Amino acid sequence: MMAKIELIDVSIRDGNQCLWGAVALDTAQILGIAPVLDRVGFRALDFTSSTHMGIAVRNHRQDPWERIRMVRAAMPNTPLQFIGTGLRFISWDVAAPEFMQLVYERLVANGIPRFAIMDPTNDAEALLDSARMIRKAGADEVVAALTFTLSEVHDDAYYAALAARLSRSPHIDRLYIKDPSGLLTAERARTFIPAIRACMGGMELELHSHCTIGLSAQNYMVAAETGIAALQVALGPLANGSSLPDAQRVVANLREMRHTVDVDDRLLGAAAEYFSRLALAENLPAGAPQDYDASYLRHQLAGGVMSTTRRQLAELGLEHRFAELLQEVARVRADLGYPIMVTPYPQMVCSQALFNLLGTERYSNVSDQVIRYVLGKFGRPSAALDPNVLDRIMGHVRTREIAQEGAPPDLAQLRRRFKPGISDDEFLLRATMPPQQVDAMIASGPAPVHYNPRVRPILKLLAELMSRPAVADLTVEKPDFRLALHRSPREPEHVR
Amino acid sequence: MIVRRLLIANRGEIAVRVIRTCRRLGITPILAASSADLDSVAARLAHEVVCLGPPRSLDSYLNIDAVVAAAVRVRADAVHPGYGFLAENPRLAAACEAAGIAFVGPTPAQLAALGDKLNARRHAVAAGLPVVPGGEADDLESARTLAAAIGYPVLIKAVAGGGGRGMRHAHTDAELEQSLPRAMAEAAAAFGDGRIYLERFVTAGRHIEVQLLGDGATVIHLGTRDCSIQRRYQKLLEEAPAPGLAEDLRAGMEAAAIALGRHLGYRGLGTVEFLFDCEGGRFYFLEMNARIQVEHPVTEAICGRDLVEEQLAVAEGRRLRLSQDTVRLAGHAIECRLNAEDWLDGFRPSPGRVTCARFAAGEGIRLDGHVQADSQIPPYYDSLLAKLIVHGPDRPAALARMAGALERCEIGGVANTLPMHRALLAHPAFAAGGVTTGFFERFMAEQA
Repeated sequence: MMAKIELIDVSIRDGNQCLWGAVALDTAQILGIAPVLDRVGFRALDFTSSTHMGIAVRNHRQDPWERIRMVRAAMPNTPLQFIGTGLRFISWDVAAPEFMQLVYERLVANGIPRFAIMDPTNDAEALLDSARMIRKAGADEVVAALTFTLSEVHDDAYYAALAARLSRSPHIDRLYIKDPSGLLTAERARTFIPAIRACMGGMELELHSHCTIGLSAQNYMVAAETGIAALQVALGPLANGSSLPDAQRVVANLREMRHTVDVDDRLLGAAAEYFSRLALAENLPAGAPQDYDASYLRHQLAGGVMSTTRRQLAELGLEHRFAELLQEVARVRADLGYPIMVTPYPQMVCSQALFNLLGTERYSNVSDQVIRYVLGKFGRPSAALDPNVLDRIMGHVRTREIAQEGAPPDLAQLRRRFKPGISDDEFLLRATMPPQQVDAMIASGPAPVHYNPRVRPILKLLAELMSRPAVADLTVEKPDFRLALHRSPREPEHVR
Repeated sequence: MIVRRLLIANRGEIAVRVIRTCRRLGITPILAASSADLDSVAARLAHEVVCLGPPRSLDSYLNIDAVVAAAVRVRADAVHPGYGFLAENPRLAAACEAAGIAFVGPTPAQLAALGDKLNARRHAVAAGLPVVPGGEADDLESARTLAAAIGYPVLIKAVAGGGGRGMRHAHTDAELEQSLPRAMAEAAAAFGDGRIYLERFVTAGRHIEVQLLGDGATVIHLGTRDCSIQRRYQKLLEEAPAPGLAEDLRAGMEAAAIALGRHLGYRGLGTVEFLFDCEGGRFYFLEMNARIQVEHPVTEAICGRDLVEEQLAVAEGRRLRLSQDTVRLAGHAIECRLNAEDWLDGFRPSPGRVTCARFAAGEGIRLDGHVQADSQIPPYYDSLLAKLIVHGPDRPAALARMAGALERCEIGGVANTLPMHRALLAHPAFAAGGVTTGFFERFMAEQA
């Protein structure tokens, strides 16, 4: 079947998060390519999340709301997407619903028309609640995630039932298969996608599948054949690795299979080149195509968690027990009702597996996070917990203490903590971040808006030369290029 | 509408300037050039080049049919006319509209309203702007009567004129008698419209203008510029903001400009020019230029915005992305126009081959040019080689930066105005700021 396929670019949000720890790409670096991205013809742009907004404040000292407004102005044709995980904004603490309502309202007011919502346990009620609030805030498009994983319970029928439930909501416009660990194979996609689509009543479906073990390039082609409306992709160095498939490669492959993709290839190339130059100028790694790793299908631990766990074991002198730990990870995951290995669960499951491995008895030591999960504070688990494990955890003293933790503060209580008259945007940052970080952001003033990766190397060279007065002349020569710099006898002007 | 392919119907530095913004925005720039410019820097930077016709402007850059045909042939979404040539020609704007191509500029009706200077004056009066006493004169008799009413000295201007061309002074009836027929003949030859009008000549005036940006519904201003350094009404150096201006006067000019923009429902970039009478302490509306100005970079420097980008956004049919309260003007900017002219020989044009072109670079320094070593300066067009623009935290810092930057520039092969600008920057009256339009003549007299 030949299809018309839309693309959604995730470079700035998910690509940046997977490959550059979410800390790259400040306001100027995004504005430097925003007008080009706007003309490529993407269906939407995965643009920000509460993690990215927090990093804007903490690492860049830049106002994340101002960033949304400026990028929105620079790209009026392409909807910007915020991805959220329910009752949480910037801080890991659970927020009150009316607080989240304000978050969504401010996101819409500042220029976010599209929201992706996901729940790490695929809790339909939680997703429907979020969708209702986001719609009330005035969003144009709400896309709900069917978060994919491999387990005994996560079969095609499980996802079809979830899709049927979500697609009946008037507040959800599209669904997307979110495969955060890159577990979907082409073979599974052939049954999985039709099974879901059959239950969606004609609603459009998107696919978002990470390249973690190199499976996604092929399942994207199967998706195009089986009725997917849009594929989520990344650009240049922000593609591959643990990120999403490379946009240019996906376009070429789709056209090879005689599907239609209505994007401007020249601008797609220009945008990829911008990120490549930026990666070079800022010394950031480029995502590389990944090798297939069969064991990953069992433990589902992404590279970052894997290397952290290995390091922790090495620090304890227990590196030789790594294989054993991976087996325990799989067991803990089954005990806990197969949480999907997406933040915060990999960290939670790994540390519990480590406790179990090192302790005198399994579950003699349980982290607060696991207790909160068991108590349902993160939502409803995908499947029933192992009854023996459940009993064991419920018997801990600490479990009773955590069970008595109060509800999150309501909006009025929170507002009273800050000086009256501050804007809602500032209030939402102050309510979720340390005051000194917000103060530092405000003190930094408006974010710079100009960035050109082509001139960064020469500016760096000039700055270095300025700090070395002994260098009077410098010549760089290569084929078709000659740069000669001579120090002026007068004091040179400052170069930033 | 999204502009993906833009036809640039102009040449020289403004063509290069527009191409630069196109590249940043991901728009494909296509240059419409005369046969004399097919090897120009702009032609080499453009994605495609289409030949408009022979070198003579009338056969190329002023040929509306050729421009529209070129735009249709290259499947352009929009036409950017730059400044000069057809930039303010309502017939080009209308022809583009008829061909389904966006014209990067005001509506044909707005261009028609502002192109005719008397009409523009009527609109200014209707919008409540003060105008210099004066009016239209059909013949010598009516001109004499008008001059008697407004008082000598008077300025004779072409109704269809612009850019200072065709203006003459008259201090007495005898001078009026002598100048009027020549002014009418010149106006007819230059603009195809021999009508003239008289204005009282303000002897000690400053040329101050306000940058406007509108989307047809909302109009904002981006501050003032001072363009008083002029020779025969041709601007040589501009700065932003206008220095040494009382805040109430500045606010008054800005408000007056906005009033005119609102009155017209103005769309695009426009400049409202005022004459500030230093002796009377009042300002008068002069005219409104319905296009991007040569001196736009000084405004860009103080407001941190790309005005070509804003023009294109408006041409795409978008609402303004800026509101008046988000416009922040910071620092001081100066622009020197580097022309291929021999400044010590009556500013004689000096076309030919450029043998050397070195320009200053560094923080707060910008160069908008279209020449490099081996460039040919054709004799058919204006003599602007480059504009050197500096920005600093305040006027003294900007002056120091400009003086340093001028020292580091070198243009060989053609006579040029670099040395003139160096002398100008060193002049104490200029350094003090706020000189009148009469200053440059005195400055030149001092050089002799």
